[in-house]
Amino acid sequence: MSSIASPGAPTMASPEHLIELDDVIIGYRADRPFTPPVRFTVRESDTIAILGPNGAGKSTLLKTILGLVPPLAGRVRYRNDATPKVGYVPQGHRVDLAYPLDALQVVLMGRVPRVGLARGYRASDRAAALEQLEAVGLGSMAHHPFRSLSGGQRQRVLVARALVGEPEVLVLDEPTSAMDPAAEHSLLSLVSDLVTARQVAVLFVTHEISAAAGFSRTVLLLDGAKRSFEAGPTEALVTSEHMSRLYGRPVEVRREHGRALVWLSAHETPTEGAP
Amino acid sequence: MSFWEASFLWKEPMFASLVGAGLLGYLGFFVVLRRVAFMSAALSQVSGLGVATAFWVGSFFGVSPHEDSPLWFSPVAYALAFALVGAATFTLPSRSRRVAPESVVALAYLMASALVIVVLSSPRIAQEAHEIGDLLFGNAVVVRREHLVQMCVAAVLVLGLHGAFFKDFLFTSFDPETASALGVPVRALDLALHASLAISVAVCTRALGALPVFAFLVLPAGAALLFSERLKVVLALSIGFALLSASVGYWLSWTWSLPTGPVMVALAASFWVLAGLKRLLEGNP
Repeated sequence: MSSIASPGAPTMASPEHLIELDDVIIGYRADRPFTPPVRFTVRESDTIAILGPNGAGKSTLLKTILGLVPPLAGRVRYRNDATPKVGYVPQGHRVDLAYPLDALQVVLMGRVPRVGLARGYRASDRAAALEQLEAVGLGSMAHHPFRSLSGGQRQRVLVARALVGEPEVLVLDEPTSAMDPAAEHSLLSLVSDLVTARQVAVLFVTHEISAAAGFSRTVLLLDGAKRSFEAGPTEALVTSEHMSRLYGRPVEVRREHGRALVWLSAHETPTEGAP
Repeated sequence: MSFWEASFLWKEPMFASLVGAGLLGYLGFFVVLRRVAFMSAALSQVSGLGVATAFWVGSFFGVSPHEDSPLWFSPVAYALAFALVGAATFTLPSRSRRVAPESVVALAYLMASALVIVVLSSPRIAQEAHEIGDLLFGNAVVVRREHLVQMCVAAVLVLGLHGAFFKDFLFTSFDPETASALGVPVRALDLALHASLAISVAVCTRALGALPVFAFLVLPAGAALLFSERLKVVLALSIGFALLSASVGYWLSWTWSLPTGPVMVALAASFWVLAGLKRLLEGNP
């Protein structure tokens, strides 16, 4: 059983505990669970990275945490027994660019849960959407077609959409896939700055070990094929040993000047990016 | 007799064509962007099968479809029921990774098409085969008042639903993954959207025919998306292109004695050509 519960066992009575997984087994089929029973807690202002190879069950873990997929066993408990308000940033390529929408119209969608079904947006919703676009540095592009923005700008719009709903938990599913390292660092720095002041917990799935090392305090290592799950402080788990075991190939991790350098084998030049 | 002198003949069919074209031109926005054009074709065929079945069932009870028929033999009721069942089936989540959802739609399309031919060949409804054929291949020349009323009621219901839920339909169509993560009932909204499509297709097919219905759902919206990147402009153009195709198409078919449905379809397709030319001139083919 894995646990990242800090000393002094977490209970849902404590107001800073947003989500608690209590001996939860994730997966879709009882005969093919992705994990052993796991236990961990998501607290206010936590920044948690989820790492694992393709098909490891990372997205399923996210959906289980958010209550979208029921666990095979165990319980997912929420503060005040209510699913927390979520902001969600999908992978950039999952968003359909055929739609004739401008940046503001995309951000407004993040207000749908607050506004409710069958009700129109109010002036306050538009003001909040514009404010979030300003916050991600795209206030002047509110009426630009979404599809004409660069990949990095589109991801910023999606971050603004995730934040406009005033979430308690911000979930990012491989938000920097297909982004160059500079754009990736810029986006994650922006997210880090934006959530710091808001007491928002961040859960992000990534294949970028350096991103996990640089922007998370906690990591969850998941490999559904091996039914393995580890959780703990980033410093302790983002190591050569753990990463090599997770990805099944030699991965070197070195920390210099507060940043993690990651490379695949002893013969390769260290880069910030991969495995 | 000139076109305008004969207005008493075409007033109702023309009005029906405009109501149907406007409604389908609007719905086409979602059909094209959600990439469910084939679903609308399948719904059209399935509703056509409903009409043919109504004729066939009615023949056992001596009910003529040319007269006012009770609900249980009403072709529109059968078309609606068949189309709604089809829409609900297409909205169900696929439980198999081996069969893509498109394959289920294709199966429905092919089965409905084949069964319509089988029903049409039945000696019991040989006399009605021509009328059913009009429904399938398009003939908006004659529209009965009751069908016009049914179209208007369907249009009010569907547009009312979309007026209320437009932002929700837009969100779940654009990014269902995020909508689901935020707790928006994506499946229920999909079902409502598909049901509105099914109702529109079923009612409009009865009045206009399957071919123009499919065309109005796909061609105007596709062309409008090539013309503009603005939501309101695309919606306005899609509806406008559909209305122009219906009205000018009807006039041309009358003037040159051409089949009405196919002329409307050809006109709707011409907006794609215009959009292609525009993009070519802009250096953006």
